[in-house]
Amino acid sequence: MIRIQSLTFRYEDSKVDALHDINLTIPDGSFLGIIGPAGAGKTTIAQCISGIIPHAVRGDFYGSVVIDGLDSADTPLTDLSRLVGTVFQDVERQIIFPVVEDELLYGLENFGVPREKIEERMTFALTHTGITSLRHRTISSLSGGQRQKVAIASLIALQPKILILDEPTGELDPGSSRKIFALLQELNRTYGITVVVIEQKIMLLCEFAKRLAVMDQGRIIREGSVREVLGNISRLEEIGVNCPRVARFSSLLGEQIRQEISVCVNVEEAEREARRVMG
Amino acid sequence: MIRVENVSYSYSSGATTVTDLSFHIQAGEFVAILGENGAGKTTTVKLIDGLLRPTKGRVLINGSDTARSRVSERAKQVGFLFQNPDRQICRNTVREEIAFGLRAVWGKKEEARIKARTQEMLDIFSFSGDEEVFALSKGQRQQVALASTLAVKPSVLILDEPTTGLDYRECTHIMNFIRDLNETEGTTVVMVCHDMEVVLDYAKRALVMAGGRLIADGSVHQIFRNVPVMEKASLLPPQIVQLAVRLGGEFSEADEAGELAELIAKKRKGG
Amino acid sequence: MTDVFQYTPGDSVLHRMNPVTKIFLTFCICMAAFLTDHLSVLIFLLFLDLMLGVIAGIPRKAFSIFRGLAKISLFLFALQALFVRRGNPVFWIITDEGLRTAGTVVLRLLVVCLPFALILAVTQVSDIANSMVQVLHVPYAYAFTLALTIRFIPLFMEEMSGIMEAQAARGIEFDTKNILKKFGLLLPLCAPLLISSMRQTGATATAARVRGFSLRTADSGYKKYGFGLVDLCAAVLSIALIAGAAWIR
Repeated sequence: MIRIQSLTFRYEDSKVDALHDINLTIPDGSFLGIIGPAGAGKTTIAQCISGIIPHAVRGDFYGSVVIDGLDSADTPLTDLSRLVGTVFQDVERQIIFPVVEDELLYGLENFGVPREKIEERMTFALTHTGITSLRHRTISSLSGGQRQKVAIASLIALQPKILILDEPTGELDPGSSRKIFALLQELNRTYGITVVVIEQKIMLLCEFAKRLAVMDQGRIIREGSVREVLGNISRLEEIGVNCPRVARFSSLLGEQIRQEISVCVNVEEAEREARRVMG
Repeated sequence: MIRVENVSYSYSSGATTVTDLSFHIQAGEFVAILGENGAGKTTTVKLIDGLLRPTKGRVLINGSDTARSRVSERAKQVGFLFQNPDRQICRNTVREEIAFGLRAVWGKKEEARIKARTQEMLDIFSFSGDEEVFALSKGQRQQVALASTLAVKPSVLILDEPTTGLDYRECTHIMNFIRDLNETEGTTVVMVCHDMEVVLDYAKRALVMAGGRLIADGSVHQIFRNVPVMEKASLLPPQIVQLAVRLGGEFSEADEAGELAELIAKKRKGG
Repeated sequence: MTDVFQYTPGDSVLHRMNPVTKIFLTFCICMAAFLTDHLSVLIFLLFLDLMLGVIAGIPRKAFSIFRGLAKISLFLFALQALFVRRGNPVFWIITDEGLRTAGTVVLRLLVVCLPFALILAVTQVSDIANSMVQVLHVPYAYAFTLALTIRFIPLFMEEMSGIMEAQAARGIEFDTKNILKKFGLLLPLCAPLLISSMRQTGATATAARVRGFSLRTADSGYKKYGFGLVDLCAAVLSIALIAGAAWIR
């Protein structure tokens, strides 16, 4: 469980708060998507959850972030890392070693996983990310999607309770992006890992996330189930958040026929709604 | 305008290749190149600008073979906006950055003209000029790179995933600007793009690539309705197109949410 | 050239050898090269270097590294030969002593540089770092820095060529054939390149931190680096090289 209370953070040398009075509770087993325009504070909140703020980034930190009962400000970063696995925005720079196997070993070795358990953990991580065949490959020979999976596998091997990812599909094509989200969904469903993902691709969030948080100017302006959040799309479009076209369609259709229409979050729903309207 | 004739390319490592590409692009077109990562899209646009030389075949821009001239000489004619604006930007302030590109193409003697054009570009993009480039957001840096590319008034603009890492507002801002340029100045636009909604909203023609080959060439409207092609390229059509096709009949040709909602409302009244 | 520092997978004797032995062998070849002044010994050592490439199963790579180094060496040779004034003139201002000195310097350079490049081609950096920590008890922070540096060389080169491409596309003459001109154009780009690589190194350091960098000890390594018969042979060969070079001198 992640509990963020009255969190305000301002980077050193900055004149404005990157995060302002954030209150957010993320229960165990959640799949939360965070969306918002550039500069809204998405990466900052991710770093607060993983403990990089306040441990590795300077600034003024007020309020608290409590992860599984541990206050992030009083807990060493390495202890937080046992609970929270972080995938950075630039995955290329996150991968430390040139070969997949070494990348997975790194965290396992450091966290003192017993020798007899290491092979088991590696196999688990490789199998569940679907990259068993890549074990001995060099990173430079992998595609962007495969590299993303290596980064995720290296964290899964450490058996974190929470995974936080900062725009994991930024440079991927639609097919590979979906595969990454399907993988996160499986980890969430099967192993109860809490997934928090920052993402611009709203359609992926609609399909895979259970809840959405919308950020703007350092604040969380809306939080709830995907359907609740997309209920008022004009407000979202105003602050510069992309909405699924079918949601826009259902809202426009409602205006056209002067009738309340429940918001559609995918094509199937939109089709059903359209057929219902036409009788 | 752009003629790609039987072009093949293989990297020395033997990695990504394109095989036997042929297509023509007329002046004033807005073309999107679609396909999975590794399908050869970036290679293709680099071949068009001559950043890569074809191993076989040739590329002609306005009738001249790109292999016969240097890339830097072509900047007047062809502007190239990369996915990562930071590789393009090399000056500290926005004003210097734009002037730097102009000086390289127009020469140092044209200082007065360069100054005027720089100011013009700053106004168009609403920059004061004194902003420090590396303190700007990625979307703003992308705009600086675009301003600098467009300053020399190229007749062809190549965009390699121009909206990656931008939020919706930044993306709309940049793409609207490019559309205006295409419509008012007749600038030819060739764009590699992963976002099918952007392709639907802005491009008119689509070239679909898979495994280094061109597998389809047609209007965006038709390509998105061509199921076998979309499947072969591992692409999903935009939501509204999917919805329109599912509803079938008089709805199947709709591309926009508003258009479709209107059609349905009309049918409800009439039916 | 970008793949010079990259690992080439394989199963040769050199691949299997303990990384520490490989470093020792390299070190001894260097020592031998500096101990001797005999051209014949240096040529023998150069031959040995190239043989190592063949044994490692990467003869083509070995020769391409050799060719790359040879180009630089030729330039150095010319400089040396022109500037050494001692000895008897052979023709124009070139002396026999000059030729000899130039030859020695250049051969030495080749002999010393080649094995380093070869070792990197047949050893994963993580193995170099881990074995140095395990066997030689080098502090992990140093070994890790070394490993990271080597890992980032190809990324840095890629960034560099990406920048040159982008600059050429906007009309800066990066596609010129004149190397001096290209170098002049490159200078103003150094600042942004450095800034971006600094920022990226920071990200990598944080990534290492959240995966328990500070918890690591000399015993953390999963792979153990033992010594076998191959290592013994290589060690004997290494010592023999130094002894031989010292004796012939």
